[in-house]
Amino acid sequence: MNKRITVLVLISLFSAVAAAAQSKAWDILREIVLVPGVSGHEGAVADFIQKRLPAGLKVERDGMHNVWFTVGSGKPHILFVAHSDELGWTVDKITAEGRLRVKPGGGILPQTAEARPVIVHTARGPVAGVVAPRPGYDERRSQADVPEAPFAAENFDIFLGVGSEAEARALGVAEGDTLTARKTMTDFAPGLMATRGVDDRAGCAALLDAALRLKAGAFRDRTVTFAWDAQEETGLLGASELAKTLKPDYVFAIDTFVSTDSPLESKRLAHLPVGKGAVVRAIDSSNVTPKTEIRKVLAIAKKRGIPVQVGNSRGGNDGSVFLPGGAVDIPLSWPGSYAHSLIEKIDRRDLDALADLILAIVAEWK
Amino acid sequence: MIHRTVKKIAGLLALACLAAGTGGAADLKGLTKELFIIPSTTGNEDLLAGRIRGLLPRGLVVEEEGLGTIAVRFRGEAGPTLLLAALDGYGHMVSGITPEGYLALDRPVAPPHARFDAYLLGQPVIISTSHGPVQGVVSQPALHLLTQERRKTLVEGFTLENAFVDIGVRSEKEARAKGIELLDAVTFPAVLTELAGRKWSGPGLGLKAVAAVLVAVAEALATEAPGDETIIAWAAQTKFTARGRGARPAVGAARARTRWQPARTVIVDVAAAGGGDGSPALGKGPVLIEPKDGSTALRQAFERAAAGADTAYQSLAAADSPLAIPFTGPLSEVLTVALPVLFLNTPSEVVDLKDLQALRDLLEKFLKPGAGR
Repeated sequence: MNKRITVLVLISLFSAVAAAAQSKAWDILREIVLVPGVSGHEGAVADFIQKRLPAGLKVERDGMHNVWFTVGSGKPHILFVAHSDELGWTVDKITAEGRLRVKPGGGILPQTAEARPVIVHTARGPVAGVVAPRPGYDERRSQADVPEAPFAAENFDIFLGVGSEAEARALGVAEGDTLTARKTMTDFAPGLMATRGVDDRAGCAALLDAALRLKAGAFRDRTVTFAWDAQEETGLLGASELAKTLKPDYVFAIDTFVSTDSPLESKRLAHLPVGKGAVVRAIDSSNVTPKTEIRKVLAIAKKRGIPVQVGNSRGGNDGSVFLPGGAVDIPLSWPGSYAHSLIEKIDRRDLDALADLILAIVAEWK
Repeated sequence: MIHRTVKKIAGLLALACLAAGTGGAADLKGLTKELFIIPSTTGNEDLLAGRIRGLLPRGLVVEEEGLGTIAVRFRGEAGPTLLLAALDGYGHMVSGITPEGYLALDRPVAPPHARFDAYLLGQPVIISTSHGPVQGVVSQPALHLLTQERRKTLVEGFTLENAFVDIGVRSEKEARAKGIELLDAVTFPAVLTELAGRKWSGPGLGLKAVAAVLVAVAEALATEAPGDETIIAWAAQTKFTARGRGARPAVGAARARTRWQPARTVIVDVAAAGGGDGSPALGKGPVLIEPKDGSTALRQAFERAAAGADTAYQSLAAADSPLAIPFTGPLSEVLTVALPVLFLNTPSEVVDLKDLQALRDLLEKFLKPGAGR
């Protein structure tokens, strides 16, 4: 009887130790994805990351809300970077009727925001609104062959529930406030979800999780920098600022791999299935990864039993701004269906593999 | 001593009544929230009917009609007067499962407007299966890979031909294992947005708010009987119109007419608000709708009730809706009383809670003994 209890206790202890070493990136993602941070307004996301980083690290933060820390010393210098900003809009004008006009933030199909709830992030807190459907939306079209005017963010007419500019301002709304789509989490199954902002909060979460699991011995003979940068979606601006001072030999940009794992898209490129592991982005719109470096990543992953896929896709990555400074850019990802939508899809297994891959590269990259 | 005890009990009862009275507005909000979360589309009204049944006061006998309509009856001297609201909203249903496990969609009825299907693109949805709700998303192309040509066909020209619901599975077998069947209702998640100015927004909110008003009225009639015999009905398949030549009545309404043969019918419906000159507005009270040559006696009764309840109302002249058509005739009166709804038949219908309260007050006043004649 006593032997059986001892065995059970040992099993419990072993499980607890094993669990402590496991990735918590998924739980971090489900929290951080809800923190608002439209490009240029990443303060709350930077706070979230900074608060959770292990005590004792020398964490730096600049005026753009780029956050980073460096450990170890010597060569090579390896930089991992994930962007903390998300897609959204900015209040441009409040009309006499209390409606909001916005400046486009780019990146989201405006049609998918039509007649949808949004959140205005004011200095006094969140204010709910609805993007009004286009004028005459409910009319039967008499001339079906005449194309409709495109529905663009410049035409957004956001209803807050009030009828005048004064009432809108009384809610705390002001020009320059940011707006995001109201996020709905679709849980297909445990560990498989879709929501807005997975790009690139999943990258932030994987990097944060790796930071929390870093072991001192892993970076004895190298310099490792982890960075969460701002304003990627509006032109890689945060990374460009970091590139002025950080001169890595290798940069691993952690961001979405735009996958065609969907029923609507050609499988000609980018067809890496969701749920089959992390991704090395071989080619995108901003970088061609040397094959030798891809092979190095794959070898490390194989040694550690981490599932990794290689694919070619589109879109840019933050690592590309370090190319002129002499770095080699090796973007790492997870396969993401429906990129830049309200329903960005992600599988926990891919995220965990990505976090594990980051740690493996920290320990083994040469 | 006994006298003092009776007085004390009477006082407590009065307090309880007062509390019930002041709690009315809150209850209506609560009822609306309760019903808002229940999906209901034409042919798939059973969940909503079941929830309404559960919210009705105990002791009321619920009458059923073969297609899913439910009703409660209150005895009175004359009548009957029928209050009829719809159970079914516009929505979509599963029409097929691809070998890869994606769901194809169709509509049980014609859409309310040309853009209705386009709201699906890139949105979360709920599939109501016999195993319970299944979460999914309607696929959209990734923006990075979208050529101008495909933008036209897949985005600007989005139709049900390109609507595929991803439920996170890889095969038809896995989809079926989740309980997916043909005809399962597909609706937007019931996410309520509380706007400023006591306004709420959400998909199908107008329908659910009206259904909640009738539950609240039934609650009131359970404690204070109406003047006339009154039937309150929540009708299934009201978006489905009968085939044939001439006027096309709503099937659910036509069957209600056959079953209850009302002398007077009040259709409790929704009306599009915010359309500009002459159209109803939010926050200005319920909308009385009838054709220009409509039945004035019933309307006058409502006008008196509105005056008695100190309730503002709006007027709209419009042709009889498919809901009202079955009840028009020389021996019966029909009037539509509607809740104004902004952005009607979009995923963000907006209602003003003041209108909701006013609609309930107006109907209750109309049904009070002596007030409706």
